[in-house]
Amino acid sequence: MISKKVCMLGVFAVGKTALVQKYVRSIFSDRYLSTVGVKISKVEVNADGVDTCLVLWDLEGKDFYTEINLPYLRGAMGYFLVVDGTRRETLDTAMELRAKVTEMVGAVPHIILLNKCDLKDNWEITEDDISALEKQNIPVVKTSAKTGQSVNEAFLSLTRAMHCFQST
Amino acid sequence: MRSNKDNNLSMAMGPIVDDIVKKSMHDKMRDFINAMFPLMGPAIRKSISESFRAMMVGFSKSMEMAFSWKGLRWRMEALRTGKPFSEVVLLHTLVYRVEQVFFIHSATGISIEHVVNEGADSRDAVMVSAMLTAIQDFVQDCLASGKDGALESMRHGEFTFMVEKSPLAYLACIVRGTPPESLREQMHICLETLLVKYADELERFDGDTAPFVTCRPYMEQLLDAHYVDEGKPAPLWTKMLFGLVFLAIIGAFGYWQYENHLATEEAAAFRQQMREAVNLLRHEPGIEVTHINMRENAPWEVFCLKDRLARSPEEVMLEHSVDPSKFSFQISPHTSHEPIIVEKNVKQALNLPPGVNMVLDAGGSLTLSGTAPMEWILMAGNKAALLPGVTSVDMSALSDPRMNMLKEMTSVVENVTISFPLNSDIPYAEEMPRLVHAVDMLVTIEHLAETMGLSVSLSIYGHADPTGTDKRNYELSQARARTIAAMLYNRESSMPVYAYGMGADQFPGATGYDARKRKIEMRLRFTSSVQGLRENFKF
Repeated sequence: MISKKVCMLGVFAVGKTALVQKYVRSIFSDRYLSTVGVKISKVEVNADGVDTCLVLWDLEGKDFYTEINLPYLRGAMGYFLVVDGTRRETLDTAMELRAKVTEMVGAVPHIILLNKCDLKDNWEITEDDISALEKQNIPVVKTSAKTGQSVNEAFLSLTRAMHCFQST
Repeated sequence: MRSNKDNNLSMAMGPIVDDIVKKSMHDKMRDFINAMFPLMGPAIRKSISESFRAMMVGFSKSMEMAFSWKGLRWRMEALRTGKPFSEVVLLHTLVYRVEQVFFIHSATGISIEHVVNEGADSRDAVMVSAMLTAIQDFVQDCLASGKDGALESMRHGEFTFMVEKSPLAYLACIVRGTPPESLREQMHICLETLLVKYADELERFDGDTAPFVTCRPYMEQLLDAHYVDEGKPAPLWTKMLFGLVFLAIIGAFGYWQYENHLATEEAAAFRQQMREAVNLLRHEPGIEVTHINMRENAPWEVFCLKDRLARSPEEVMLEHSVDPSKFSFQISPHTSHEPIIVEKNVKQALNLPPGVNMVLDAGGSLTLSGTAPMEWILMAGNKAALLPGVTSVDMSALSDPRMNMLKEMTSVVENVTISFPLNSDIPYAEEMPRLVHAVDMLVTIEHLAETMGLSVSLSIYGHADPTGTDKRNYELSQARARTIAAMLYNRESSMPVYAYGMGADQFPGATGYDARKRKIEMRLRFTSSVQGLRENFKF
């Protein structure tokens, strides 16, 4: 089986842990997030007939990712940037993070998850913001950790992207 | 010479030789079969003998573990702590055991390969590998140890995490117990081997672990275990001796149980016999068993009440072929009302003469019938009703034959009337024979009564006709009675005779000179003096 290291990145309280909690299997408790700063989970995805094991590194979220634990990003084959749709500033921080990650591990596949779709009325991120991201060829998926909306699709899309990236 | 230094040469040559051999086997399969055939038989035999030897060693170990003091102690510990016995044995005998070996890609933390020792507990290798990598990164970050430093080992309880690192990949071993220094060296050699063998694959690693399947044998070499050296095993003769002693103990215990069983059965049978013997006494008339003291190795004490007429317990036992010496009889006297004993008592007390029949019913009613001497009849009538168990006595069918005779003679005598001439106290001459006969009969009655224990007395009543004065008639009637009494005296009879003058009697329809008035009459009276009881008989 092919295994891929995938990191979950984002500002504090954007819903990284909640996004994966329902869909992954872990043998470690959430305590690790606050102690070691990372929690390892695993999800198996079948993308186009290929069984892939995604090893999810759920990194502890901080207000400013200048202090992000960079060694944890080492070897990442893909990553999710989780953004809280109700907080515009989380998108800005995500874009800064994206730049740092690209600098460290290269332009590996990644997806921006615009989370909290269930609170769409309170969103600060506009369709224009989303269009701007798409113009930069940054894949965006609107998700809801609460309802589970598009979470599976997001994992599937990233897995496909990693396979394509690997073959190139 | 080169191969003596390290295994790089053989590793380099290995794939080439493998290809040559494969190709050769493919092309000349028959030649290879012919060459291998002579080796197959011995190889199989050796394999079988090795397996058998291993089985015997295992059996020997199991025997030692099962019967040794240490094995028992560990079993007790397993019971006390609730741990499986195998774990307790492991705790006491294990020096160290490499339970799991991980081959991990350094950058991604992805588990390339993972092997587990038999019986060891393992968790998800993918996540453990990733977390272990994260922890190393965390430690390195915290200590800011730079690239030169690396986390080499972690210890938790009885487990040690040993890590052998390289930039591309690293080996991690989970060891139970205290790992030896040599393990680090072995890990180092193994990692070097893997790095050389899979250098290209590691360089191009993209998460696909398929090319690394063949690295398992290298990693499995690290799954070593070392147990406490228990010294030289006990020689065979000591095991055999132990076995023989064990069998002897088992045998002795079995024999003791068998003997015990036999003794118990014998004792039960003996007790049953004794109870049956005591039951004989319970059914014996005149004996009441009140208590039994069943003693071991001593005669049983039997407490009973016994009528004087009942048979002795010893006699009863002997009659049923039971040894009386097995019992000690404690006898208290008592009076039984059982019919057999009452009958025996009646017979003994009354001393039944021949001719007397006795019937005693269950209610205690005694019926005596037949003939017996009067004195016995009187005695029996007096005594029988007082005997224990006798509630009533019927003697109506009992008679003395002499009594009948006495009755008949008395009747004859008392029916005799002697007539007298007018104004005379001498009977008519023709009356004399009857008078003499009557006197003879009186004498006979006297003698007969005497043999029966009866006293007899005679009353003679003289009568006169109304002719003359009353005084004269009274004197005349008395004189006539005395005449008859005098005749008895003349016969030397000792019978008391009472002569009464009745004067002139009035007879219905009689005339003044009726000769039937000039007469005497006799009446006899019998008195018994048997056993002080005075009974008057008057027929």
